[in-house]
Amino acid sequence: MAGMEIDTVENLQRKQSTYQSLDETFVIQNETYRGQQYSQIYFARLHMMRTLLYSLVTHWKPHVPVCTVLGLEEGKECIIVGTLYKHMKLKPCILDEYSKERSAVPLVKHHNFMHPDDHLVLEDESGRVKLGGTVLSPSVYVTGVVVALHGKETGAGDFMVLDVLEAGLAPQIEPQLKSREDKYVVFISGVSAGSSLSNPLQFQLLVDHITGHLGDEKEQGIAAEIVHVVIAGNSVEIPLGLLNGQNLASKDQSRLSEPVQELDILLTQIAAGVPVDIMPGSNDPANFSLPQQPLNRWLFPGSRAYNTFRSCTNPHCFELDGVRILGTSGQNIDDLKKYSEGRDGLEFMERTLKWRHLAPTTPNTLGCYPFTDRDPFLIESCPHVYFVGNQDKYGTRILKGSEGQLVRLISIPKFCNTGMVVVLNLRNLECHALSFETQFSS
Amino acid sequence: MATASSNIKGFYRQKKKESGIRKPTSTKSDKSSLLHAATLGSDFTPPSALVSHGSPDLKDDYDKNEDVLRQFDMNSAYGPCLGMSRLARWERAQRLGLNPPKEIEDLLKGTKVRSECLWDGCI
Repeated sequence: MAGMEIDTVENLQRKQSTYQSLDETFVIQNETYRGQQYSQIYFARLHMMRTLLYSLVTHWKPHVPVCTVLGLEEGKECIIVGTLYKHMKLKPCILDEYSKERSAVPLVKHHNFMHPDDHLVLEDESGRVKLGGTVLSPSVYVTGVVVALHGKETGAGDFMVLDVLEAGLAPQIEPQLKSREDKYVVFISGVSAGSSLSNPLQFQLLVDHITGHLGDEKEQGIAAEIVHVVIAGNSVEIPLGLLNGQNLASKDQSRLSEPVQELDILLTQIAAGVPVDIMPGSNDPANFSLPQQPLNRWLFPGSRAYNTFRSCTNPHCFELDGVRILGTSGQNIDDLKKYSEGRDGLEFMERTLKWRHLAPTTPNTLGCYPFTDRDPFLIESCPHVYFVGNQDKYGTRILKGSEGQLVRLISIPKFCNTGMVVVLNLRNLECHALSFETQFSS
Repeated sequence: MATASSNIKGFYRQKKKESGIRKPTSTKSDKSSLLHAATLGSDFTPPSALVSHGSPDLKDDYDKNEDVLRQFDMNSAYGPCLGMSRLARWERAQRLGLNPPKEIEDLLKGTKVRSECLWDGCI
């Protein structure tokens, strides 16, 4: 793509990379809903994880027998594998509405439902057992994680945990051809076109930078090294206040569609120059439960014309020059923040990789499709880059696995609040933030 | 997981000695080997009187094939049975490497049997 040079003769070519989408597991096309409940997806998850954990347990503690929850004997040390359930006092329960005593219930905090009395229970097909001891901290774990526990049953009927085994990072495949030149991927999320917080000029600045319309040759040379753009959710904010149950006046109807039209104009500019993937987020006009299906292409009449424009699922997984990149628009990590405790978003991300499950709280507190024969959120191959969108602040670090895996964790901040995007170098997986400001402090 | 005791047998009227779902016994009849096949892979033997004899049994004991399929439904090793057709559940068990007995697949694909699990329409 040519830069905006007027004086020089040479054209600047944008670098290319090979792209392969790995979203088939997240697309809901062959599923039919036959009235099944969530027990099916929990069974699929337990079965897949247990098979894996059984193979790991033989190396972990080879001399301790493995048994089921029902097979526990008092005082006998053994290993049990099952799904964790966290009993949370403050977790809102639909039955509270029907409780006879209208006692003064403490106001539910929106941001976190933890309580010191929370306790963990392990469950498999045969039964449940309450977990005791101090090894397993209820503040770290959430319902839906499958682990192996070494311990013994106490007289009280609890299982005293002596040690815990998580699945750990999945095996990682080395990219075949390591790129020797710098190629950059830009990650944006939370553009929120149409919201009062978003500044269209800021996004326009970003688009101009990516497409090489800004700056001198050096600047354009840098922009020419951008090979891909990923938009991780919450790209629009639809004025939902207009929807109040009444018929919409025609001027209100056009106001409803303005944010998407605004987004499409800018997306078309990006798509004209560089491949762009757009993922749905919690505020976007897509389905609610995970995995969110791609935004309908008819929302983007302008960008749709370009084959560089791709509407993708959330979660989204793809390979660029053999580098495996996996990420979500943030719902999985945001839900973990409500039901567990961690230092920062990156710590929650690390936990999901070690638990080998993108969204362990589905379907308990995070909506998901009732799959019957698989759990698409299980991480079978460890990505090289793992990103999460719509976070409060930018953060990144490298996570090392026990078998030499290396993952670049990226927490993408909301663009409408911070004006920041994240740029990743495919060559060495180094990451930096790029900020766009339109205010000039005097 | 109660074992069958004589008072349960007295409570649920059984027409013939051979009717009703039984735990696998040591007799080497065809039926018990099929039943054994259906419960393979599970440590949990279901209770023997699963069949409700509420309605008068105007015909003879229901199909022994249905018997076998109900054992398959109740076998927790293959996961929950509600919300899936029996064949879909068998195929899922196959895909997950659980080695469900071939006889079940043959019954479901070949003979005229109920395609849905025993709880279908009741829950």
